Amino acid sequence: MLRFLFRRLLIAIPTMFIVVTLAFFMMRAAPGSPFVNERHLSPEVEANVMAKYGMNRPLAVQYATYVGGVLHGDLGPSLKYKDKTVLKIISEGFPHSLLIGGLAMTIAAIVGVSLGVVGALRQNGPADYTAMGVAVLGVCIPTFVTAPLLVLLFASMLGVLPTGGWPTASQPLSSAWRYFVMPVAVLSLPQIAIISRLTRAGMIEVLRSNYVRTARAKGLPEHSVVLRHALRGAILPLVSYLGPATAGVITGSLVVERIFSLPGIGRAFVASALQRDYTVVMGVVILYAGLILFLNLVADVLYAALDPRVRLS
Amino acid sequence: MRAWRTLMLAGAALGALMASSCDSGGSRPPCPAGKLCYERGNVIDPLTLDPLKATTVNEDHLLGDMFTGLVQYDPMGEPAPGMATSWKTSADGLTWTFHLRDAKWSDGAPLTSDDFVYSLRRLMDPKFASEYAYILYMITNAEAVNGGKLPLTALGVDAPDAHTLRIHLTHPVPYLLRVATHETMYPVPRHVIEKYGDQWTDPRHWVSNGPYIIKSWVLGDRIHAVRNPYFYDAKSVCIDEVNYHPGSDAIAVERAVRRGEIDSANDIQSNRIAYLRRPDQIPAYVHVKTWLGTTFLGFNPNAVPAFKDIRVRQALTMAIDRDFITNKLMRGGQLPAYTFVPPGVASYPGSEPPHWAGWSLERRQTEARRLMALAGYTPQHPLKFEFKMRNTNDPQLIYPAVQADWRAIGAEASLYPEESQIAYSDYSARNFQAADIAWIADYNDPMTFLYLMKSTTGPQNYTDYKNPAYDALLDQADHEVDIVRRGQDLAKAEHMAMEDATIAPIFFYVSKNLVSPKITGWVDNLSDWHRTRYLCFAGHKPPG
Repeated sequence: MLRFLFRRLLIAIPTMFIVVTLAFFMMRAAPGSPFVNERHLSPEVEANVMAKYGMNRPLAVQYATYVGGVLHGDLGPSLKYKDKTVLKIISEGFPHSLLIGGLAMTIAAIVGVSLGVVGALRQNGPADYTAMGVAVLGVCIPTFVTAPLLVLLFASMLGVLPTGGWPTASQPLSSAWRYFVMPVAVLSLPQIAIISRLTRAGMIEVLRSNYVRTARAKGLPEHSVVLRHALRGAILPLVSYLGPATAGVITGSLVVERIFSLPGIGRAFVASALQRDYTVVMGVVILYAGLILFLNLVADVLYAALDPRVRLS
Repeated sequence: MRAWRTLMLAGAALGALMASSCDSGGSRPPCPAGKLCYERGNVIDPLTLDPLKATTVNEDHLLGDMFTGLVQYDPMGEPAPGMATSWKTSADGLTWTFHLRDAKWSDGAPLTSDDFVYSLRRLMDPKFASEYAYILYMITNAEAVNGGKLPLTALGVDAPDAHTLRIHLTHPVPYLLRVATHETMYPVPRHVIEKYGDQWTDPRHWVSNGPYIIKSWVLGDRIHAVRNPYFYDAKSVCIDEVNYHPGSDAIAVERAVRRGEIDSANDIQSNRIAYLRRPDQIPAYVHVKTWLGTTFLGFNPNAVPAFKDIRVRQALTMAIDRDFITNKLMRGGQLPAYTFVPPGVASYPGSEPPHWAGWSLERRQTEARRLMALAGYTPQHPLKFEFKMRNTNDPQLIYPAVQADWRAIGAEASLYPEESQIAYSDYSARNFQAADIAWIADYNDPMTFLYLMKSTTGPQNYTDYKNPAYDALLDQADHEVDIVRRGQDLAKAEHMAMEDATIAPIFFYVSKNLVSPKITGWVDNLSDWHRTRYLCFAGHKPPG
């Protein structure tokens, strides 16, 4: 087990290195510059600005400097948000995205797995059709449609939830939770849909397998067969899906953060890419790659824990 | 069956919970008891809180509440005394002397004329690399200092005593007070900057001299500001705390304003304005007013030889149905533009529009077809060129219409939308044939528009317009002490450039604010500046 973890960490280093290198050069190859807008800088001033951020040096030198900085935990200054470092932007935005995304994934996992199990047990019954119908809708309707619809209903018409925004630090949880309801719901709906379908498919397959038949033959009660034996096998495909999906959701969604005015990292990421804020884009890419590597590792460990046939060595 | 009942019960419980908590006073951020808190929408987060690095209008909406320059905007957006109580100009117009009031920074330290000298030198310091320093190049030696050719001390500002500031100019600038309202001329606290360096803008170290001071900033969330007790005129300030909310989704912000979560927003999606003005909607919230900005087209004569032919440029310009664009497509109160400088700009009589501007659309189109035919182009054998445009909402909406207008007179433009950043970098590099360009004034004066077409302007003279007569009129205006004669010179120059059709103005911008009627003291104005210090809530008044 330890050897496995060690080996995976060793593989992660070149992977991260390749990601950083590709992102760095792709970003610089994109046309445009962070310092161009309709106000043109005089050549002297532009040279001053470039020198200030070390961008007057050859690209290879900039790359080496950047990688050196990253190794020391320094992601550099933001080129657009002149008062903020990349680390500060990430450390301000990421916790918000993590909270919303984490809640959404937790809810999605609980609801999705439940729906999937119900669907598989009552296969082709009304409960199955209802659950899967909802799931198909959840996948088909994009978040930029569900979000405004929910806002229209719960904020504008019923007036029971805020239209968006983030509670202040001093606000008690008893009123702060209302800000999270709609973003979490919008983010979790498509995930519920995918998770429930994956669970249902896995469950149907496992329920027909020999070990489940054996469990039933032993005379185990139905809930024990389903929850203790079948479910463990059925959610294996789900585990490999959840790793990257969680990484995607907790690093923030542009659409949800924009519509609900959330101070998350997803919006900052897209804005930075459009404004050519190279360092912020790089920082978020590194965060995202690191999360995916980490969560995939977690998924592999979970695999071994759930399925005795998998050996990690 | 049981599962369904549980689900319904849970739903009912959730509904009850939501209903019970909604009478806790909506969802405005908490406001200390007895205080007036203003939730102010401000489109995007500032890129910096350092006024000398700031470049955007939204930054000044915020920083103008934190800092007070020599002069400041009054409620009508006009310059009024600020840190300076009075000023005088030398007879030749080249030296301005400002007399400062007794004032303090928000940490209690005295503010003197040395602070202004320090700030202006900091702005011009090549190492500081301000992107906006050029706006003050009329100060003696500024350009050379900013280019690193002269030391900072050579800059034409000095402080004979603690309450007097002198600014020396390379040419008379009768509109200097309007320039002095700009954020690049705010004083910054030397004693704090020398202690914390670039970190001085961290809200923990924040010191400024305006009506408010910044307490916290979370990117994408809000900037929280409270009263500055040391502000010289604190007793006339009504609102105690301000939260500036970024919100680039205009529709989301509109909903928040309707629900009273935000008190004012400084943008409305153009095509919502007519709807919001309906009597059953929120007509009292909608504030639309002509603004200091113009969208125009540029023709690059070095990329398309046909654009060297004045007949072609005139034809392309006169064939555009601007009324259709503003009334049917934009629908936000924007005005069709036949000249470059927006109407109402200060110290300016306005220029005479080109000779065809008063014609009917049919007559203009017939004439355009005739001019194109003379130049050798017909709808059967059209002039073909690429038209680069920004891929934002308005350009995508209006240029297909322009494309159709042109097709009818024998010009076939293919549209190339690009991200704004890339578009402007292409325009500056002249990597375009024809282009859509927008210009927002730096201050309320015609020169901020007209210098764009001066041959010495360089990259921002997008069409490389080179007309010695035009240049001469602008130079003459720059040396004119009499502001009326200066305006006449500039108007003559503008008319010349418009007849030359080097650019094709399309429409003048409007400012679009959505303001709750609870807010009092809001005056719509051409410059669109609304400092929080003049605002209040209905039924309240300032402590003084």
